[in-house]
Amino acid sequence: MSKKSRERVLKQAQASFHYETPNPESVLKEKLPKKQFKMNQMDAYLYDKIFETEPIGFFRDAWLRFRANRASLIALIIISLVVVLAIIGPMIRPYTFRTQHTEFGVLPPRIQGLEKLGICDGTLVYNLQKSELEDYGDSVVKILDEYIWVYRGREIEMVTVKINMYIRRGAQDHYFWFGTDNIGRDMFVRVWRGARISLLIGLVSVIINCFIGVVYGSISGYYGGKVDMIMQRITDTLGAIPFLVISILFIMVLGAGIQSFILVLILVNWIPMSRMIRAQFYRYKDYEYVMASRIMGAKDRKLIFRHILPNAIGPIITQATLAIPGAIFAESFLSYLGLGIQAPEPSIGVLLAEGQKVLTSSPHLTLFPAMIVSILMLAFNIFGNGLRDAFDPRLRGTEQ
Amino acid sequence: MAITLFIIVSICFFLIRLIPGAVAGEGALPEIRIALEKRYHLDQPLWNQYLIFLKNFFSFEFGESISLYARTPVFDVIRTKIPLTLQLNIYALLLTLPLGMSFGVIAGLKKNSLTDHIISLMVIFFISVPSFVFASLLQYIFAFKLGFFPFLLNLKPGWSLDKFSSMILPILALSFGGIATITRYLRSELFEALNSEYMLLSKAKGLTQVQSTVRHAIRNSFIPLCNVVVPMFTNLLGGSLVVENIFGIPGMGSLIAQSLGASDYYLTIATLFFYSIIGLTSILLIDLSYGLIDPRIRMGGGKVRE
Amino acid sequence: MNEKILQVKDLHLHFKTYSGMVQALRGVSFDVYKGETLAIVGESGSGKSVTTKAITRLLTQNAMILRGSIAYKGNDLLKLSESEMCHIRGNEISLIFQDPLSALDPVMKIGRQITEALRVKKQMSRSEAKAKAIELMHSVGIPDPVIRYNEYPFQFSGGMRQRIVIAIDLACEPELLICDEPTTALDVTIQSQILELIKDMQRKRNLSVIFITHDLGVVVNIADRVCVMYAGKIIEVGTVNDIFYSPQHPYTWSLLSSMPSLQSSAKDKLMVIPGTPPNMLHPPKGDAFAARNRYAMTIDFEREPPLFRISDTHYAATWLLHPDAPAMTWEDAKHARGIKGGTQA
Repeated sequence: MSKKSRERVLKQAQASFHYETPNPESVLKEKLPKKQFKMNQMDAYLYDKIFETEPIGFFRDAWLRFRANRASLIALIIISLVVVLAIIGPMIRPYTFRTQHTEFGVLPPRIQGLEKLGICDGTLVYNLQKSELEDYGDSVVKILDEYIWVYRGREIEMVTVKINMYIRRGAQDHYFWFGTDNIGRDMFVRVWRGARISLLIGLVSVIINCFIGVVYGSISGYYGGKVDMIMQRITDTLGAIPFLVISILFIMVLGAGIQSFILVLILVNWIPMSRMIRAQFYRYKDYEYVMASRIMGAKDRKLIFRHILPNAIGPIITQATLAIPGAIFAESFLSYLGLGIQAPEPSIGVLLAEGQKVLTSSPHLTLFPAMIVSILMLAFNIFGNGLRDAFDPRLRGTEQ
Repeated sequence: MAITLFIIVSICFFLIRLIPGAVAGEGALPEIRIALEKRYHLDQPLWNQYLIFLKNFFSFEFGESISLYARTPVFDVIRTKIPLTLQLNIYALLLTLPLGMSFGVIAGLKKNSLTDHIISLMVIFFISVPSFVFASLLQYIFAFKLGFFPFLLNLKPGWSLDKFSSMILPILALSFGGIATITRYLRSELFEALNSEYMLLSKAKGLTQVQSTVRHAIRNSFIPLCNVVVPMFTNLLGGSLVVENIFGIPGMGSLIAQSLGASDYYLTIATLFFYSIIGLTSILLIDLSYGLIDPRIRMGGGKVRE
Repeated sequence: MNEKILQVKDLHLHFKTYSGMVQALRGVSFDVYKGETLAIVGESGSGKSVTTKAITRLLTQNAMILRGSIAYKGNDLLKLSESEMCHIRGNEISLIFQDPLSALDPVMKIGRQITEALRVKKQMSRSEAKAKAIELMHSVGIPDPVIRYNEYPFQFSGGMRQRIVIAIDLACEPELLICDEPTTALDVTIQSQILELIKDMQRKRNLSVIFITHDLGVVVNIADRVCVMYAGKIIEVGTVNDIFYSPQHPYTWSLLSSMPSLQSSAKDKLMVIPGTPPNMLHPPKGDAFAARNRYAMTIDFEREPPLFRISDTHYAATWLLHPDAPAMTWEDAKHARGIKGGTQA
């Protein structure tokens, strides 16, 4: 609360505070009914009050907290939207990601509804010499400006025009919602296919985290001692090698492509998760209920999976979610450099690399993939933060 | 750290041997092949090769570049490229640290206020959006549309205002991620420190809120910062690859991509080696400085006497 | 001796929380005389710690003081500005916490922590402050003060840390020392050492001490007068003799009988106070202790009892002291529970 609002609340509370301190003299003067002084609890056995609230399950409790956090909720909705669009996006257009229309190279975006409003209407703004204007015929939508440009001592009349590229190239009946790239491939399909790949990578990362990371961390944390020491050495060494270095080593041997990338993920992506699980194990391993179970003869496996691990479900889900943006970033990073997924398969990184070359003339080629990947990563980060707050509200600070 | 380095180098060695046709291209004449093999010691038993390799490596002789810069010693190639990359990264670091710390402290002090919300929003944004997207964005808006800065890096030797202004965008692009990380971390550390008991004691002693904050809370919250700076620096290094690409900076980044593409394995290995060294050295440095700053670690949990 | 150094009058403190207003203090009044030790006893949640924070004005942002005054040497502390309050803290009033480990800054040398107040507030030179600190460390019983001046908190044991905190607090020579359960986190043997130290300091420097605790054994050891708190109110106040030999409030009876003593035999049942403390979001009507009180009367559920006077030094807020109430004393209560005589308390 800010200082002003605090003072306001204080004044309000003070004003509405009506409390009369009982005064012994005046009380003694009062005539109180005698029957009020009967003791009627002497033999009653005073029970503890029954706990009035109903116990809620762990997940329901977390879900309620999560729901209250609007930002995370929006993030979740956005992620779902992206997933849906990634699945159906490429299917709702009549082109595949490979279909080329070379004559329709580098068209700007054109969307049926919006073009009436002037956005995404398939036009670009050019500076042309006035003499060239005739060549453009009907594709000229509007002349924005006329000016004189002095070049080598000659004055040339220039115009700034808005050209409808679709008419110019003869593509009036086609609508490319995100435009096309330099060989005429539909960007909408390509971008959503790229999103598909990113999401798949995210899924792979979650699976790797959950299976390798959890199991590795559990074994390392549960058994402790020498086993733990050796296992930790391995992860420390692996973790110390920069991601780039490992990726390149793999690429050198296996060549660039998605296999190398996934193998690298399998090798290193789970390390933070295993560290966290190990820490959890160290915390819970010595709790009495574990010892009690062990005395009763429970096997190691049962102890691990049934007793200790469920405590960590919250952090596991959070960690797995927060690892997704990292994996997506890594994939697009490598693809951008040409070291990951290769063209023509349109991973976001590939699309960004292609767009980079023509950034100034056709920004739409960079805009859409950049937006998608940023939105995806943002949404996952916010979602992961929301999960963390929902599962462990202690991490949120109180006012001081 | 030495062990890690050793492992990497050895892996590199074995990998080279694994890659088919690494040294001599296919279809080379037999005589040439034999001569090449002799040159690169491939006719000797594996163990000897390994030893030679190691010896060369640690005397910084990496052999010669095979295809990309034919016949130039790899070391020389790298030597020309490293300064640029290092410069870029160090400048970015110099920008990141003060800005990140300032934002973190401001956000931590004014938690849950409007300033804090704005900063937190900025943090999430910078962390999520990949650095190369940023770089493209910066390039498009500031270099193209607004024309404030040049597109590509100015490579003229020496120092000039033009050169400096051409460096601004790449440095900015690199530093955003780091700023966000530090801000986020410092904010939560500071918040915890402000709510701790030693702050209460300090105020009970009679120090004002400001005095207590500066003398105790801020000191305590800066210490675990070292934990974050290391991964941040390694990320910086990685990110610089792409940023170099976008802004046309001929540093180590382009070298890696090109050398891989040209199957110039010696070059690749050498660049990897340098990246590893830089990364691991920074880890070591940070670990050491952490020991210097935090007295608990410095004294190694010294004797507790009654 | 009979001069009052602190007078708390009718203090009402509420905390604004997400669930509503928690009524932490509901009309707390007590006095502290110069040179005496006042113990404040109660369960967790009764408002003891909150009172100490209110006196030193170290409350959290959501605390609202709705009514009342805290007069220190005649000046109402609640009306002072923050900078004036900073002057009072340390110089006049000081506070010791429960957990000495978290109270000390882990990355600052303890010598510096002791001299910090001296150098910042009194502008002492470095050497002067250091000399004073070493002398302080010596008087609180830290061995080898010159060497240990440069050590860090983690290098000390719990008892030693508490001594350091005491040294820090006494550096600027306050007149009122507030101890908030300083021995709860320590071993019993160390506990007695710290208590002796506090008593020693009090004698030497003529301090007034407010001692918060839930442990009646400590109270007997150190206090001159006792306040018993329950659910944000002071329900009984008197000298140590008053409270231990002739307590009047049923809550005090329960507290006394739930302590085992050396005289109790294995067959004696340890008395337990049934039920749980009330929810301070919605304090009950009437006497807050009524629901757990064996001797509750109908009026206890209707109206709050005023603080009746028993003697000049002894007051209790219970309807049992009303002339119309049935006669009930500590002896009767002890008999009713089959407790053997003596100060089984």
